[in-house]
Amino acid sequence: MWWKIVLFVVMSWVIIAAFVYPAPQQGIGEASRIFYFHVPQAWVAVLAFVVSMIASVRYLRKGDLLDDDRARVAAELGFLFCLLATVTGAFFAKVTWNSFWNWDPRETSIFVLLLIYGAYFALRSAIDGAEKRARLASVYAIFAFITMPFLVFVVPRVLPSLHPSDSVVDSSGKITMSSTTALVFFPSLAAFTILFIWVYWLGLKISVGQRRAAEEAVR
Amino acid sequence: MTSNYAVMAVTLIIWVGLFVYLLRLDRKVKRLEEKK
Amino acid sequence: MASPKSSYGLAAKSLAVLRKDILSEYRTRYAINAILLFGVTTLTVVSFAVGQIGLPADVYAALFWIIIFFSAMSGLAQVFVKEEESKTAIILKLTADPTPVYWGKLIFNFLLLTLLEVIITPLYFVMTDVVLHNAALFFTVLILGSIGLAGATTLIAAIISRASIKGALFAVLSFPILLPLLIGAIGGTKKALGPVEAPFAAASSELQLLVSYAVVMITASVLLFEFVWEE
Repeated sequence: MWWKIVLFVVMSWVIIAAFVYPAPQQGIGEASRIFYFHVPQAWVAVLAFVVSMIASVRYLRKGDLLDDDRARVAAELGFLFCLLATVTGAFFAKVTWNSFWNWDPRETSIFVLLLIYGAYFALRSAIDGAEKRARLASVYAIFAFITMPFLVFVVPRVLPSLHPSDSVVDSSGKITMSSTTALVFFPSLAAFTILFIWVYWLGLKISVGQRRAAEEAVR
Repeated sequence: MTSNYAVMAVTLIIWVGLFVYLLRLDRKVKRLEEKK
Repeated sequence: MASPKSSYGLAAKSLAVLRKDILSEYRTRYAINAILLFGVTTLTVVSFAVGQIGLPADVYAALFWIIIFFSAMSGLAQVFVKEEESKTAIILKLTADPTPVYWGKLIFNFLLLTLLEVIITPLYFVMTDVVLHNAALFFTVLILGSIGLAGATTLIAAIISRASIKGALFAVLSFPILLPLLIGAIGGTKKALGPVEAPFAAASSELQLLVSYAVVMITASVLLFEFVWEE
């Protein structure tokens, strides 16, 4: 119970500080504040994918439908945060480099993640039968996950980054993040993560409840 | 009220609303769990 | 489920599956027709639209792979879908282990893709007047890219063959997974089309991507295939 209060306080702090403190990137100005929200959203989108992939692996090994619920709920949340990250990122890009989209490696990866989530749900809705759906969706989640290292590590060496997007972010990244920036960024990261865990847990309980109720109704 | 504060206020209001919604949902789920 | 011990190795079993698929495809020619027709049609459209305009090499590289990708989407799923539709899938599952089935169908898809490329590639150069500066690099990228393309899509073809509504599912599922491959292939082809010195060195990151992609995706497919194949 207490952690919910902590979450409320921390997120409120983040929202206030993000707008009251000096902007993290002096050169770009006010819009750079998006950074405090955009990066944690992208992080949660990837975290959710990892959770979904692990649950998928567990389903394939044990066949427990609860793992399929876990994979699906995590994917639903991941999709939402991925959408948020993509949109906030596009606005950040527009203000920083004057164009909404440019296919630089980071933008490409988050967009591909969005497509993967979309494909995952399209696949699920195209299969009848809980076990079959769980099995095929799990295989796809794992298979899709494997492409992530390519996008994160290999593609950046291949795709020309017209905008040194990573170097700009890195200038407010770990090495040169000012202490005021860090004071807002890391709590934001923590708050978004806790928010994800809470909503994931709620979604899971509701899902399982719905599935069990449906099973009872059939009997 | 400068625009920075306006955005902050709106965001804060949205967050409070979202948080209250989640809290209520959380309580409903707890009650259903106890019933089973 | 233990399968009866057989004196045939993996290679022999895979080739048996391959032979069966080639024979049945030869009789119906369904996938070949679909893929070739789609390829030629798209190529015609491309040539008509931008063929005589002097566009930069990048554009021709991208268009080439767009043609290949969409043609692949129209034909590579057949190898599994036809089993489900003609109800022979059950028999295949009973008589063969998953791994040789996968390998056989992977090679079939690769051959199908190669057939497409043998026809489309010369036509592409003829119809768009683009100059090929580095043939060795071009064909290396083409072969590696095709292996990766077949490798990634064969498993997905198996997945969608089990779905009830297939529609555009194959393309929807394949595209996000193929994106790294397309980036590498288009990049490498671009360098092969443009006048580049030491082409293989210049395209080294793309080549590394293509090779590692093919290896990783095929390995993962082999491991995951049995979960898709079982009833």
